[in-house]
Amino acid sequence: MSRRYGPILIGLAAVALTGAVGSVLLWLGGFDPLAAGAALIRGSVGSGRVFFSITLVRSVPLILTGLAVALAFRAGVWNIGAEGQLYVGAIAATWVGLSWAGLPPVVLIPLVLSSSVLAGAAWALLPAVMRSRFGVGEVITTILMNFVGIHFAAWMVHGPMQESRGVFPQSDAIGEAARLPALVPGSRLHLGFGIALVLAGALAWMLRHTAVGFRLRATGTAPEAARIAGRIDTHRTVLLAFLVSGGIAGLAGGVDVSGVTFALYENLSPGWGYTAIAVALLAGLHPWAVVLTGVFFGALQAGAGAMQRDAGIPAAWVGVVEALVILAVLGLDRVRRDREARR
Amino acid sequence: MTDPRVRLHGIHKRYGRVVALDDARLDVRAGEVHGVLGANGAGKSTLLSILGGMIRADAGGIEIDGRPVDLRSPKDAWANGVALVHQHFALVPALTAIENLALGRGTAASVRPAAVAVMERTGLTVPLDAMVSELSVGDRQRIEILKALLREPSVLVLDEPTAVLTPQEVERLFDLVRELASAGTSVVLVAHKLDEVLAISDRVTVLRNGRTVRTDDAASVASDDLVEAMVGSNEAIPISAPSPPDRTGNEPVLSVQGASLTVDGVTRLHEVSLDAWPGEVVGIAGVEGNGQRELAHLLVGLAHPSAGTVRAPTDVGFVPQDRIHEGLIGDFDVAENIALVLHRTDAFRLGSRVRWRDVGAEANRIIDAYGIVASSAKSPVAALSGGNQQRVVIGRETAVARELFVAENPTRGLDVSAAAFVRAQLIDMAESGVAVVVLSTDLDEIIELSTRIMVLSRGRLASVAPSERSREGIGALMLGGESA
Repeated sequence: MSRRYGPILIGLAAVALTGAVGSVLLWLGGFDPLAAGAALIRGSVGSGRVFFSITLVRSVPLILTGLAVALAFRAGVWNIGAEGQLYVGAIAATWVGLSWAGLPPVVLIPLVLSSSVLAGAAWALLPAVMRSRFGVGEVITTILMNFVGIHFAAWMVHGPMQESRGVFPQSDAIGEAARLPALVPGSRLHLGFGIALVLAGALAWMLRHTAVGFRLRATGTAPEAARIAGRIDTHRTVLLAFLVSGGIAGLAGGVDVSGVTFALYENLSPGWGYTAIAVALLAGLHPWAVVLTGVFFGALQAGAGAMQRDAGIPAAWVGVVEALVILAVLGLDRVRRDREARR
Repeated sequence: MTDPRVRLHGIHKRYGRVVALDDARLDVRAGEVHGVLGANGAGKSTLLSILGGMIRADAGGIEIDGRPVDLRSPKDAWANGVALVHQHFALVPALTAIENLALGRGTAASVRPAAVAVMERTGLTVPLDAMVSELSVGDRQRIEILKALLREPSVLVLDEPTAVLTPQEVERLFDLVRELASAGTSVVLVAHKLDEVLAISDRVTVLRNGRTVRTDDAASVASDDLVEAMVGSNEAIPISAPSPPDRTGNEPVLSVQGASLTVDGVTRLHEVSLDAWPGEVVGIAGVEGNGQRELAHLLVGLAHPSAGTVRAPTDVGFVPQDRIHEGLIGDFDVAENIALVLHRTDAFRLGSRVRWRDVGAEANRIIDAYGIVASSAKSPVAALSGGNQQRVVIGRETAVARELFVAENPTRGLDVSAAAFVRAQLIDMAESGVAVVVLSTDLDEIIELSTRIMVLSRGRLASVAPSERSREGIGALMLGGESA
């Protein structure tokens, strides 16, 4: 298997394997796998409407958090905290959107989005400093920061940011001026998808062509060689990658508020920050591939509704499918590494 | 005595497109010491791993005491009396020596009597209750050998046992090997140094490109013939240390004054002073763990002294001792590995962009100039042989080293011709006016290369007077300085 196409082959093989194992599980569960597959496809790519207004809309936060995770993993930073970073990004975006409601869109929208980036980066700062200064493993700290972030958002919508009517645990809606314009007229697809595409391109270019990207890849691949042969300040590189990753995850929250929900909710995210790990791994941590896998997972989530409606299969099955994809990717990647190591 | 104890014949092994072994043979008699020689990549380790049950051959047969056997795992090998001591140690650092010996066999208490008995019988003593992480490399190796001997093998296989040892430790190991052999154990061993192998072996087998070329009695064979069999032709590159440079009117390019280095409360370097002038090779001999790594890092700016001063140029060429983990990134291609150095240079950057086209051109230049065998600058360095990997490192570092070049064990693990190439490069560099500092555990290398020799022992650096310039004199200083 060639070095270059290896990850792509693994991705395709993982999807095929998941389809096979998933079908068997469905069949064992007493469901009709063919009907399930048909409903899944109808509900995700069955028409232009479902594709643009449901699948692609759902893929936006998955692509953004997937990019955040992919960037961090490329630098050897195991940021499992995209979920929490997304929530604080959403809080910041909502707050800025409500506080400066009088500004024109050209000023307000960038302000809303940058506030979410800063908030996400700030949320990553503590685990980043703990890792680079004191060597505390970021897997644990970022997971714990997720709980803090999620509950922080919950507290905000029950307390300081609760809607002025004071009935539901949600914030007031942000005004028109803070909302992202539609990308495809007549659909619900908003500018956030374009932002995700541009960001993916920018990250791919950065990793491939710039000195910063090179240092980041070197640090993530072999930190000792990066430090000793490359004289790379690996602590700084880790810190930078961590903060940028947090910022992108925060942006996912900002984009969701500004493009879809227009308000802060308690359970804003159905676990995008975690699914992002599968999105990034399935993409072999490559930014452009993250766009594809993000859309793939977006389609799964969009199709889940149709599956439940049309084939009577609980939407939770999609969670099973997502888990199978992660297991398949990790397993196949392991097999590939073992093969290479035995040479 | 006529029938061999071990016979491997017609052994083939391929990894993808790479042929590791192609009709390799090996006959080992009872109670003999059998040396296996060959250049890097000749297939020595693969052949021994097949005998140890670590790897399965694609074709060919193994006979032990005349019986064909199928060695599918190390357990099968043990059951047939073969124990392999690997090049890389497989010990748990956080456990004591006896706990390591007991792994998979029972409890420390139950294994202790057997371990003590073997230690008494062989004179192979290790501190059984010391934590492995606190033991020297020599001790660790003795634990590995003990581990093998506890299985009471009739064939003991040692893969490069001398690479990490001091001359005195090598002597002790060889005494043990002779004793084991005279007690009837067959010993198969690989070592890089021809004279070492000849000194210890009854017979030697030479591999070249995965094929067994010849097997000889060690006592009667000429070493020139063996070298020729190993490399295909006998073209030893003559080497002589550069003559001491004229220092008049020159400033040293490197000046270290009373530098100490403390890491995590442990003083690694004590008031080290060292100057280096353009055109000389300063050889620093020492046993591993006596501060070489710390000193090298101090010279190239990867560490800063806790006390004292280090004055060195900004861009220092550096060959770290562990090329796999410190010098190169195996998953990166040749050009990217060269970029590890070039990305720091403005000439290869355009603002924040790396000029990959120029890096690629430079990589191709280095590949040509250093005769690196790689299919292209886009091949991952993990696919190159050790000698070619080291050429990548040296080519890349030479490109930036204008004044000072530091090399730490630059020929470790390289075959004869690759090592000669590396040494010639270091001397060329000195002759072109660069100050070269070589830190090495290989005394012969130090003596061969250096215009000036120093010894680093327990973090202290001492000069060796020209009159003391002998293996014995320097060896004594290395071990903690009876005469220091």
